[in-house]
Amino acid sequence: MNLLWWFALPVVLLPIWWHRRKRIENKAALMATARFLPRTEPRQTRVWRWSDPLLLLVRCLLLACLIAWLANPVFPQRGDTVIVAQGTDAAWAEQQAAQAGLAQAERVTLPGAQALGYVHAHEREWTADARLLVLGDLPMPAAKPVFGRQVEVRTQPKAAQVAHHVHIASARAAEWRRMFTALSGPEKIVIDDAPGKATSLIVWDRAGAPPASMKASLWLVTDAAAFPELAKARSLDGLRYADTPRGRVWRNAAWPPRDADSARRLLDDWQQLHVGPRPYTLQSQVFAPSKDANAPAPNGGLRDILLIALAALFVLERSLAHVGRR
Amino acid sequence: MALASSSLIAHTTKLDLVIRHVLAGLGHGIHAGRERGAGVEFSEYRAYAPGDEWRRVDWKLAARADRYFVREAERDSHVAVWLILDASASMAEPSRSVEGLDKLSYARTQLGCVAAIAQRQGDAFGLVVLSDGKAAFTPAARGPRQLQRVLAQLSKAEARGALPDATTLKASLHFSISPSAVYATSDLLDWPSPLSQALTRLRQMRHDVRVLGLQTQAEIDASFPETQAYRDPEQEEGVFRFGSDLKDGYRRNREAHFADVTAQSRKNDMPLLLAAIEQAPGDVLRRWLRRPGGR
Repeated sequence: MNLLWWFALPVVLLPIWWHRRKRIENKAALMATARFLPRTEPRQTRVWRWSDPLLLLVRCLLLACLIAWLANPVFPQRGDTVIVAQGTDAAWAEQQAAQAGLAQAERVTLPGAQALGYVHAHEREWTADARLLVLGDLPMPAAKPVFGRQVEVRTQPKAAQVAHHVHIASARAAEWRRMFTALSGPEKIVIDDAPGKATSLIVWDRAGAPPASMKASLWLVTDAAAFPELAKARSLDGLRYADTPRGRVWRNAAWPPRDADSARRLLDDWQQLHVGPRPYTLQSQVFAPSKDANAPAPNGGLRDILLIALAALFVLERSLAHVGRR
Repeated sequence: MALASSSLIAHTTKLDLVIRHVLAGLGHGIHAGRERGAGVEFSEYRAYAPGDEWRRVDWKLAARADRYFVREAERDSHVAVWLILDASASMAEPSRSVEGLDKLSYARTQLGCVAAIAQRQGDAFGLVVLSDGKAAFTPAARGPRQLQRVLAQLSKAEARGALPDATTLKASLHFSISPSAVYATSDLLDWPSPLSQALTRLRQMRHDVRVLGLQTQAEIDASFPETQAYRDPEQEEGVFRFGSDLKDGYRRNREAHFADVTAQSRKNDMPLLLAAIEQAPGDVLRRWLRRPGGR
């Protein structure tokens, strides 16, 4: 879109035309006895002479600068670059870079989730022969990234140290604890004796209502009497669910789960609906350049310089025009 | 010498220096005024005639001779010299052969010389500069200070605009009640014009009117650079071209115009001198001031 502004560049011809025409009009010399001559059509002298070359130059520059500012150009100027995700082991990153022959290349450190997006957004800033290496723990994007240049990705999965705090208030605590062992994945379950701020799940397997101060994003409840909201709750496969000021409540009379399958199903539901998907590290691979890559129009770094130049040229042009009028 | 003098006008900004130089080459006795002789102290008596002013009667002599005598010619001739400078835009026409010389500066020198002569003779002289539709009027007076005043006005004059219209000119010619010698310089390209009508009227009122028409050698020879387009300085519009094919037409038109001007001025008994500004100013001045029909 911005590039369309370059089509406005012929506007520069306007001052050129004006300055040339002035010259033609001033061309005629004065002759007192001109009345004795027949009148003629003013001959267009085809000499390209400018009436005020300095002013003309400044005006052309001013217009060109304005159009360039609107077009917001980007000049590919960056060379070989290694993009390292934050938190990556520095020694490993150096080793990988050296292996790829990019030990001396520019380094950019970014959060792992933004690295590929950054490469996509700034793709046009690199020169045609620049090599790009992305290192670190990069989460797999939902769609396969497409780049207009070759991008090499080397990933190192990082052991996720995610802990979920759980509070169990139950006479059958051992059965509940056994249920959490069915959890597969890198997460760790921490059983809190008393619920705290970090507690995300509370198992309430007791008669009677919990204290009003207890709050968690999800409650697993066996007794419906503890939460009056459950009376009108909707149910799904024997599970009733409702939102209360204390958090979401799931209630199933058959809990705690008796077998591994039902326990896993419950934990999977919890994972999907409350914890969210687990990060999955992208495989190391080389993205081949694609013609379909539609890199967004980048925001050039020249804008500020052009703006300053524009202001300076404007002041200069006004001054010169004023001097010329006097 | 001739060229040296006209280029002197082009290169000297001090009008009085040029005038002194021109007059130095002329000698004395070129004044064509009505006065007799050049003696400063000379005065004569003549018998009183009815109509003479009483204050001019010499009472001592009346007491001795018992007759009234009037003191005459005591450097207060009634002849005033009026200088009329046409400073319309067309007077800026430059000489195409002498760098820096134009009709206006030449006219300035001629009128300055006449003023200097008038001052030496003890005549009163005044100046009318016609420029940009206005008539700038310097009242007539005598003496060296007046000469400085007139020369300053002449130096200040710039070729601009057109001649004033007939009513403006008529209003500024109120001096015409007393007898005077009128010296007018113009390029005479506008003829008839308010200026020509005014001069004719002055002549009909029995003033001594002398007109100097200034031309350039390029105009006389019809030799202008053909590479350029031309404009009339007193007209906004219109572009003119000069070429060898137009040379004859130009010459014919111009000669017809000046033949017309000459015929009209002769009819009105108004001496007219057409001179090129490349000619020596001394020679032109001498021919301009020569008594018509005399010497």
